Amino acid sequence: MKRNLFAAMLVLAGLSLPAHAANIIDEWANAKPPASPELKPAAVDTKTYALLVVDMVSETCNAKARPRCVETIPAIQKLLNDARSKGMAVIYALGVSGKEFVPALAPKDGEPIVKSGADKFINTDFEKILKDKGIKGVIVVGTLAYGGVLHTASQAALRGFKVVVPVDGMSSQNADTLYSEQYTAWHLANGPGLAANVTLTKTDMIKF
Amino acid sequence: MKRGFATAAASLAATMALSSTIVVSASADDIITEWASVKSPTAPALKPVTVDPKTTALLLLDFVPHDPYCGPGKPRCGATLPAVKQLLANARAHGAAVIYSVAGKYEAADIAKDVAPVANDLAVKSKADKFLNTDLEKILKEKGIQTVVVTGNSANAAVLYTGTGAALRGLKVVVPVDCISANEPFEEQLTVWQLAHGPGFGNQVTITKSDMIKF
Repeated sequence: MKRNLFAAMLVLAGLSLPAHAANIIDEWANAKPPASPELKPAAVDTKTYALLVVDMVSETCNAKARPRCVETIPAIQKLLNDARSKGMAVIYALGVSGKEFVPALAPKDGEPIVKSGADKFINTDFEKILKDKGIKGVIVVGTLAYGGVLHTASQAALRGFKVVVPVDGMSSQNADTLYSEQYTAWHLANGPGLAANVTLTKTDMIKF
Repeated sequence: MKRGFATAAASLAATMALSSTIVVSASADDIITEWASVKSPTAPALKPVTVDPKTTALLLLDFVPHDPYCGPGKPRCGATLPAVKQLLANARAHGAAVIYSVAGKYEAADIAKDVAPVANDLAVKSKADKFLNTDLEKILKEKGIQTVVVTGNSANAAVLYTGTGAALRGLKVVVPVDCISANEPFEEQLTVWQLAHGPGFGNQVTITKSDMIKF
Protein backbone atom coordinates (compact mmCIF):
# COMPACT_ATOMS: atom_id res chain seq x y z
CA MET A 1 0.00 0.00 0.00
CA LYS A 2 1.34 3.39 -0.89
CA ARG A 3 2.24 5.58 2.03
CA ASN A 4 0.01 8.48 0.82
CA LEU A 5 -2.92 6.18 0.32
CA PHE A 6 -2.40 4.75 3.78
CA ALA A 7 -2.50 8.25 5.26
CA ALA A 8 -5.62 9.11 3.26
CA MET A 9 -7.35 5.97 4.49
CA LEU A 10 -6.59 6.86 8.08
CA VAL A 11 -8.28 10.23 7.53
CA LEU A 12 -11.30 8.61 5.86
CA ALA A 13 -11.54 6.14 8.70
CA GLY A 14 -11.80 9.06 11.11
CA LEU A 15 -8.55 8.12 12.80
CA SER A 16 -6.17 10.79 13.90
CA LEU A 17 -3.37 11.26 11.42
CA PRO A 18 0.02 10.57 12.97
CA ALA A 19 2.47 13.45 13.15
CA HIS A 20 4.57 11.76 10.48
CA ALA A 21 3.66 9.82 7.41
CA ALA A 22 3.50 6.09 8.00
CA ASN A 23 6.87 4.41 7.93
CA ILE A 24 7.90 0.86 7.16
CA ILE A 25 7.70 -0.24 10.78
CA ASP A 26 4.03 0.83 10.87
CA GLU A 27 3.47 -0.84 7.51
CA TRP A 28 5.49 -3.97 8.31
CA ALA A 29 2.58 -6.40 7.98
CA ASN A 30 1.67 -4.94 4.58
CA ALA A 31 5.10 -5.53 3.12
CA LYS A 32 4.18 -8.64 1.17
CA PRO A 33 6.93 -10.31 -0.81
CA PRO A 34 6.68 -9.93 -4.57
CA ALA A 35 6.48 -12.93 -6.89
CA SER A 36 9.59 -15.06 -6.91
CA PRO A 37 12.19 -14.01 -9.47
CA GLU A 38 12.60 -16.22 -12.52
CA LEU A 39 15.75 -18.32 -12.54
CA LYS A 40 17.61 -17.89 -15.81
CA PRO A 41 20.19 -20.02 -17.55
CA ALA A 42 23.70 -18.58 -17.37
CA ALA A 43 26.39 -19.08 -19.96
CA VAL A 44 29.84 -18.35 -18.55
CA ASP A 45 33.08 -17.95 -20.42
CA THR A 46 35.61 -20.04 -18.51
CA LYS A 47 38.45 -17.66 -19.46
CA THR A 48 36.85 -14.48 -18.15
CA TYR A 49 34.75 -15.75 -15.26
CA ALA A 50 35.87 -16.69 -11.76
CA LEU A 51 34.10 -18.83 -9.18
CA LEU A 52 34.06 -17.17 -5.77
CA VAL A 53 33.46 -19.45 -2.78
CA VAL A 54 32.44 -17.33 0.21
CA ASP A 55 32.95 -18.30 3.87
CA MET A 56 32.36 -22.06 3.46
CA VAL A 57 34.11 -22.94 6.73
CA SER A 58 33.45 -25.76 9.16
CA GLU A 59 33.15 -23.43 12.16
CA THR A 60 29.81 -22.19 10.83
CA CYS A 61 28.86 -24.43 7.91
CA ASN A 62 27.86 -27.39 10.08
CA ALA A 63 24.60 -29.16 10.85
CA LYS A 64 24.22 -27.45 14.21
CA ALA A 65 24.96 -23.83 13.33
CA ARG A 66 23.80 -23.68 9.71
CA PRO A 67 22.00 -26.74 8.39
CA ARG A 68 21.00 -24.69 5.32
CA CYS A 69 24.69 -24.28 4.52
CA VAL A 70 25.44 -28.00 4.80
CA GLU A 71 22.69 -28.64 2.25
CA THR A 72 24.47 -26.49 -0.35
CA ILE A 73 27.78 -28.37 -0.14
CA PRO A 74 27.03 -31.02 -2.82
CA ALA A 75 25.89 -28.43 -5.39
CA ILE A 76 28.88 -26.19 -4.68
CA GLN A 77 31.24 -29.18 -4.84
CA LYS A 78 29.93 -30.11 -8.28
CA LEU A 79 30.24 -26.53 -9.48
CA LEU A 80 33.77 -26.34 -8.12
CA ASN A 81 34.75 -29.57 -9.85
CA ASP A 82 33.26 -28.36 -13.13
CA ALA A 83 34.98 -24.97 -12.85
CA ARG A 84 38.38 -26.51 -12.12
CA SER A 85 38.05 -29.07 -14.88
CA LYS A 86 37.39 -26.24 -17.34
CA GLY A 87 40.37 -24.26 -16.05
CA MET A 88 38.31 -21.45 -14.56
CA ALA A 89 39.78 -19.21 -11.89
CA VAL A 90 38.64 -20.16 -8.39
CA ILE A 91 38.89 -17.62 -5.57
CA TYR A 92 38.06 -18.11 -1.91
CA ALA A 93 36.85 -15.67 0.69
CA LEU A 94 37.06 -16.01 4.44
CA GLY A 95 35.32 -13.96 7.09
CA VAL A 96 36.96 -12.30 10.03
CA SER A 97 37.02 -15.45 12.19
CA GLY A 98 36.51 -18.66 10.15
CA LYS A 99 39.65 -20.61 9.21
CA GLU A 100 38.79 -24.27 8.52
CA PHE A 101 37.50 -24.76 5.00
CA VAL A 102 34.73 -27.31 4.55
CA PRO A 103 36.95 -30.27 3.48
CA ALA A 104 35.01 -31.08 0.30
CA LEU A 105 35.44 -27.46 -0.84
CA ALA A 106 39.00 -26.74 0.26
CA PRO A 107 41.18 -24.55 -1.96
CA LYS A 108 43.92 -26.02 -4.14
CA ASP A 109 47.43 -24.62 -4.25
CA GLY A 110 47.53 -21.26 -5.95
CA GLU A 111 43.86 -20.41 -5.54
CA PRO A 112 43.76 -16.96 -3.92
CA ILE A 113 42.09 -16.38 -0.57
CA VAL A 114 40.77 -12.96 0.45
CA LYS A 115 39.66 -12.14 3.95
CA SER A 116 37.10 -9.53 4.97
CA GLY A 117 33.66 -8.99 6.47
CA ALA A 118 30.47 -9.18 4.41
CA ASP A 119 31.85 -7.14 1.50
CA LYS A 120 34.94 -8.97 0.25
CA PHE A 121 36.06 -5.91 -1.72
CA ILE A 122 36.71 -3.87 1.43
CA ASN A 123 40.35 -3.93 2.59
CA THR A 124 41.32 -6.82 0.30
CA ASP A 125 43.03 -7.36 -3.07
CA PHE A 126 39.90 -8.97 -4.48
CA GLU A 127 39.24 -6.38 -7.19
CA LYS A 128 42.93 -6.33 -8.14
CA ILE A 129 43.02 -10.15 -8.35
CA LEU A 130 39.98 -10.09 -10.65
CA LYS A 131 41.44 -7.36 -12.86
CA ASP A 132 44.91 -8.93 -13.03
CA LYS A 133 43.34 -12.18 -14.22
CA GLY A 134 41.23 -10.36 -16.79
CA ILE A 135 38.03 -11.47 -15.07
CA LYS A 136 34.79 -9.89 -16.30
CA GLY A 137 32.30 -11.96 -14.36
CA VAL A 138 32.00 -13.92 -11.11
CA ILE A 139 29.87 -16.81 -9.98
CA VAL A 140 29.22 -16.22 -6.28
CA VAL A 141 28.36 -19.09 -3.92
CA GLY A 142 28.56 -19.44 -0.18
CA THR A 143 27.20 -18.28 3.12
CA LEU A 144 25.64 -16.25 4.54
CA ALA A 145 23.33 -15.43 1.67
CA TYR A 146 22.55 -12.05 3.24
CA GLY A 147 26.16 -11.40 4.27
CA GLY A 148 29.12 -12.32 2.09
CA VAL A 149 27.01 -13.39 -0.89
CA LEU A 150 24.66 -10.39 -0.99
CA HIS A 151 27.27 -7.74 -0.38
CA THR A 152 30.06 -9.18 -2.49
CA ALA A 153 27.72 -9.97 -5.40
CA SER A 154 26.15 -6.49 -5.19
CA GLN A 155 29.52 -4.79 -5.05
CA ALA A 156 30.82 -6.82 -7.97
CA ALA A 157 27.78 -5.75 -10.01
CA LEU A 158 28.17 -2.09 -8.99
CA ARG A 159 31.83 -2.30 -10.04
CA GLY A 160 30.77 -3.45 -13.50
CA PHE A 161 31.37 -7.20 -13.26
CA LYS A 162 28.77 -9.66 -14.49
CA VAL A 163 27.51 -11.70 -11.56
CA VAL A 164 25.93 -15.16 -11.52
CA VAL A 165 24.31 -16.34 -8.28
CA PRO A 166 22.88 -19.87 -8.09
CA VAL A 167 20.19 -20.02 -5.38
CA ASP A 168 21.12 -23.60 -4.49
CA GLY A 169 24.67 -22.44 -3.76
CA MET A 170 23.79 -19.78 -1.17
CA SER A 171 22.46 -20.27 2.32
CA SER A 172 21.26 -18.66 5.50
CA GLN A 173 21.31 -20.46 8.84
CA ASN A 174 18.16 -22.57 9.12
CA ALA A 175 14.43 -22.84 8.44
CA ASP A 176 13.79 -19.76 10.61
CA THR A 177 15.94 -17.51 8.44
CA LEU A 178 14.38 -18.13 5.02
CA TYR A 179 13.25 -14.50 4.83
CA SER A 180 16.88 -13.47 4.47
CA GLU A 181 17.39 -15.84 1.54
CA GLN A 182 14.14 -14.67 -0.02
CA TYR A 183 15.01 -10.98 0.00
CA THR A 184 18.59 -11.69 -1.03
CA ALA A 185 17.36 -13.58 -4.10
CA TRP A 186 14.80 -10.88 -4.89
CA HIS A 187 17.23 -8.03 -4.35
CA LEU A 188 19.97 -9.56 -6.48
CA ALA A 189 17.52 -10.09 -9.35
CA ASN A 190 15.71 -6.75 -9.03
CA GLY A 191 17.72 -4.32 -6.93
CA PRO A 192 18.36 -0.85 -8.34
CA GLY A 193 21.56 -0.86 -10.38
CA LEU A 194 21.98 -4.62 -10.14
CA ALA A 195 19.54 -6.21 -12.57
CA ALA A 196 21.60 -5.43 -15.67
CA ASN A 197 24.62 -7.30 -14.34
CA VAL A 198 23.16 -10.07 -12.17
CA THR A 199 21.79 -13.44 -13.26
CA LEU A 200 19.92 -15.41 -10.62
CA THR A 201 20.10 -19.07 -11.50
CA LYS A 202 20.68 -22.63 -10.23
CA THR A 203 23.93 -24.55 -10.40
CA ASP A 204 22.57 -26.97 -13.00
CA MET A 205 21.53 -24.04 -15.22
CA ILE A 206 25.11 -22.76 -15.49
CA LYS A 207 26.75 -23.72 -18.78
CA PHE A 208 30.49 -23.44 -19.21
CA MET B 1 9.75 -31.35 0.50
CA LYS B 2 10.79 -28.16 2.19
CA ARG B 3 14.53 -27.74 2.40
CA GLY B 4 14.27 -26.98 6.09
CA PHE B 5 12.65 -30.36 6.71
CA ALA B 6 15.25 -32.13 4.61
CA THR B 7 18.11 -31.31 6.92
CA ALA B 8 18.83 -34.81 8.13
CA ALA B 9 18.71 -36.30 4.66
CA ALA B 10 20.84 -33.57 3.21
CA SER B 11 23.35 -33.78 6.06
CA LEU B 12 23.66 -37.47 5.37
CA ALA B 13 24.07 -36.78 1.69
CA ALA B 14 26.72 -34.17 2.45
CA THR B 15 28.50 -36.59 4.77
CA MET B 16 28.52 -39.17 2.00
CA ALA B 17 29.94 -36.61 -0.37
CA LEU B 18 32.62 -35.74 2.15
CA SER B 19 33.61 -39.28 2.96
CA SER B 20 33.74 -40.72 -0.52
CA THR B 21 34.24 -39.66 -4.09
CA ILE B 22 30.52 -39.80 -4.79
CA VAL B 23 29.17 -36.46 -5.85
CA VAL B 24 25.61 -36.18 -4.65
CA SER B 25 23.49 -34.11 -6.97
CA ALA B 26 21.58 -31.32 -5.27
CA SER B 27 18.08 -32.59 -4.77
CA ALA B 28 17.07 -30.24 -1.97
CA ASP B 29 14.63 -27.49 -2.71
CA ASP B 30 15.86 -23.92 -2.80
CA ILE B 31 14.47 -20.57 -1.77
CA ILE B 32 12.60 -20.16 -5.06
CA THR B 33 10.58 -23.35 -4.61
CA GLU B 34 10.05 -22.46 -0.95
CA TRP B 35 9.06 -18.86 -1.75
CA ALA B 36 5.43 -19.06 -0.66
CA SER B 37 6.27 -20.65 2.69
CA VAL B 38 8.57 -17.86 3.86
CA LYS B 39 7.30 -16.01 6.91
CA SER B 40 8.09 -12.34 7.41
CA PRO B 41 10.17 -11.69 10.50
CA THR B 42 9.17 -9.45 13.38
CA ALA B 43 9.83 -5.77 12.84
CA PRO B 44 12.91 -4.46 14.63
CA ALA B 45 12.19 -2.23 17.64
CA LEU B 46 12.79 1.47 17.07
CA LYS B 47 15.33 2.73 19.57
CA PRO B 48 15.99 6.23 20.85
CA VAL B 49 19.54 7.34 20.15
CA THR B 50 21.72 10.24 21.25
CA VAL B 51 24.50 11.23 18.87
CA ASP B 52 27.46 13.54 19.46
CA PRO B 53 27.16 16.38 16.92
CA LYS B 54 30.97 16.81 16.89
CA THR B 55 31.53 13.31 15.52
CA THR B 56 28.27 12.74 13.64
CA ALA B 57 27.43 13.37 10.01
CA LEU B 58 23.93 13.43 8.59
CA LEU B 59 23.92 11.86 5.13
CA LEU B 60 21.19 12.89 2.68
CA LEU B 61 21.35 10.53 -0.25
CA ASP B 62 19.93 11.33 -3.67
CA PHE B 63 17.11 13.70 -2.68
CA VAL B 64 16.91 14.91 -6.26
CA PRO B 65 13.30 15.78 -7.18
CA HIS B 66 13.48 14.01 -10.53
CA ASP B 67 12.86 10.38 -11.42
CA PRO B 68 14.34 7.88 -10.87
CA TYR B 69 15.45 9.53 -7.60
CA CYS B 70 12.96 11.51 -5.47
CA GLY B 71 10.72 12.58 -8.34
CA PRO B 72 6.98 12.38 -9.06
CA GLY B 73 7.30 8.65 -9.69
CA LYS B 74 8.56 8.16 -6.11
CA PRO B 75 5.70 9.29 -3.83
CA ARG B 76 7.14 7.37 -0.91
CA CYS B 77 10.27 9.52 -1.15
CA GLY B 78 8.29 12.76 -1.31
CA ALA B 79 6.44 11.65 1.83
CA THR B 80 9.72 11.49 3.77
CA LEU B 81 10.79 15.07 2.98
CA PRO B 82 9.06 16.79 5.96
CA ALA B 83 10.80 14.45 8.43
CA VAL B 84 14.13 14.82 6.62
CA LYS B 85 13.74 18.62 6.64
CA GLN B 86 13.16 18.65 10.41
CA LEU B 87 16.07 16.27 11.05
CA LEU B 88 18.32 18.43 8.88
CA ALA B 89 17.31 21.55 10.84
CA ASN B 90 18.11 19.78 14.11
CA ALA B 91 21.47 18.58 12.81
CA ARG B 92 22.42 22.07 11.60
CA ALA B 93 21.26 23.69 14.85
CA HIS B 94 23.66 21.45 16.75
CA GLY B 95 26.53 21.87 14.33
CA ALA B 96 26.63 18.31 13.02
CA ALA B 97 28.24 17.78 9.63
CA VAL B 98 25.86 17.43 6.70
CA ILE B 99 26.91 15.50 3.61
CA TYR B 100 24.86 15.03 0.46
CA SER B 101 24.98 12.69 -2.46
CA VAL B 102 23.67 12.85 -5.98
CA ALA B 103 23.77 10.40 -8.85
CA GLY B 104 23.45 10.23 -12.61
CA LYS B 105 23.35 13.57 -14.42
CA TYR B 106 22.42 15.56 -11.32
CA GLU B 107 24.53 17.89 -9.19
CA ALA B 108 24.19 19.34 -5.69
CA ALA B 109 22.29 22.32 -7.11
CA ASP B 110 19.53 19.94 -8.21
CA ILE B 111 18.71 18.69 -4.69
CA ALA B 112 15.13 19.25 -3.47
CA LYS B 113 14.70 22.80 -2.09
CA ASP B 114 13.24 21.68 1.25
CA VAL B 115 16.42 19.81 2.12
CA ALA B 116 18.94 21.67 -0.06
CA PRO B 117 22.62 22.12 0.84
CA VAL B 118 24.00 25.42 2.12
CA ALA B 119 27.51 26.82 1.86
CA ASN B 120 30.24 24.40 3.05
CA ASP B 121 28.02 21.32 2.86
CA LEU B 122 29.79 18.64 0.85
CA ALA B 123 28.26 16.45 -1.82
CA VAL B 124 29.58 13.25 -3.36
CA LYS B 125 28.45 11.72 -6.60
CA SER B 126 28.24 8.01 -7.25
CA LYS B 127 25.93 5.17 -8.05
CA ALA B 128 24.23 3.23 -5.25
CA ASP B 129 27.24 2.82 -2.93
CA LYS B 130 28.39 6.34 -2.09
CA PHE B 131 31.78 5.05 -0.91
CA LEU B 132 32.50 3.70 -4.38
CA ASN B 133 34.65 6.05 -6.50
CA THR B 134 34.12 9.02 -4.17
CA ASP B 135 35.98 10.81 -1.36
CA LEU B 136 33.30 9.94 1.19
CA GLU B 137 35.57 7.76 3.33
CA LYS B 138 38.30 10.43 3.26
CA ILE B 139 35.82 13.19 4.10
CA LEU B 140 34.46 11.25 7.07
CA LYS B 141 37.96 10.50 8.37
CA GLU B 142 39.14 14.09 8.02
CA LYS B 143 36.14 15.33 9.95
CA GLY B 144 36.65 12.72 12.67
CA ILE B 145 33.20 11.27 12.05
CA GLN B 146 32.32 8.18 14.05
CA THR B 147 28.56 8.05 13.48
CA VAL B 148 26.52 8.56 10.34
CA VAL B 149 22.77 9.14 10.26
CA VAL B 150 21.67 7.81 6.89
CA THR B 151 18.61 9.17 5.07
CA GLY B 152 17.65 8.93 1.43
CA ASN B 153 16.32 7.15 -1.55
CA SER B 154 16.43 4.41 -2.61
CA ALA B 155 16.39 2.62 0.69
CA ASN B 156 17.36 -0.62 -1.03
CA ALA B 157 20.29 0.92 -2.90
CA ALA B 158 21.94 4.13 -1.67
CA VAL B 159 20.84 3.67 1.95
CA LEU B 160 21.50 -0.07 2.07
CA TYR B 161 24.97 0.00 0.52
CA THR B 162 26.17 3.24 2.06
CA GLY B 163 24.85 2.26 5.48
CA THR B 164 26.44 -1.18 5.21
CA GLY B 165 29.66 0.31 3.84
CA ALA B 166 29.85 2.71 6.79
CA ALA B 167 29.26 -0.07 9.32
CA LEU B 168 31.85 -2.34 7.67
CA ARG B 169 34.32 0.57 7.88
CA GLY B 170 33.81 0.74 11.63
CA LEU B 171 31.33 3.61 11.88
CA LYS B 172 28.15 3.61 13.95
CA VAL B 173 25.12 3.87 11.70
CA VAL B 174 21.74 5.39 12.61
CA VAL B 175 18.81 4.81 10.25
CA PRO B 176 15.57 6.74 10.82
CA VAL B 177 12.85 4.70 9.10
CA ASP B 178 10.71 7.77 8.35
CA CYS B 179 13.56 9.26 6.29
CA ILE B 180 14.21 6.36 3.91
CA SER B 181 12.06 5.18 1.04
CA ALA B 182 11.82 2.79 -1.87
CA ASN B 183 9.17 1.96 -4.45
CA GLU B 184 7.50 -0.75 -2.40
CA PRO B 185 7.17 -1.56 1.31
CA PHE B 186 8.91 -4.93 0.76
CA GLU B 187 12.01 -3.08 -0.42
CA GLU B 188 12.04 -0.85 2.65
CA GLN B 189 11.40 -3.84 4.88
CA LEU B 190 14.31 -5.85 3.51
CA THR B 191 16.56 -2.80 3.88
CA VAL B 192 15.62 -2.22 7.50
CA TRP B 193 15.88 -5.89 8.39
CA GLN B 194 19.19 -6.29 6.58
CA LEU B 195 20.72 -3.23 8.23
CA ALA B 196 19.50 -4.36 11.65
CA HIS B 197 20.68 -7.96 11.25
CA GLY B 198 23.56 -7.78 8.76
CA PRO B 199 26.13 -10.44 9.67
CA GLY B 200 29.09 -8.81 11.38
CA PHE B 201 27.77 -5.27 11.14
CA GLY B 202 24.13 -5.19 12.30
CA ASN B 203 25.33 -4.61 15.85
CA GLN B 204 26.67 -1.22 14.77
CA VAL B 205 23.33 -0.12 13.34
CA THR B 206 20.48 1.56 15.23
CA ILE B 207 17.04 1.54 13.64
CA THR B 208 15.07 4.56 14.86
CA LYS B 209 12.79 7.43 13.84
CA SER B 210 13.83 10.99 13.16
CA ASP B 211 12.12 12.33 16.30
CA MET B 212 13.92 9.73 18.44
CA ILE B 213 17.37 11.10 17.48
CA LYS B 214 18.90 13.55 19.97
CA PHE B 215 21.96 15.58 19.08
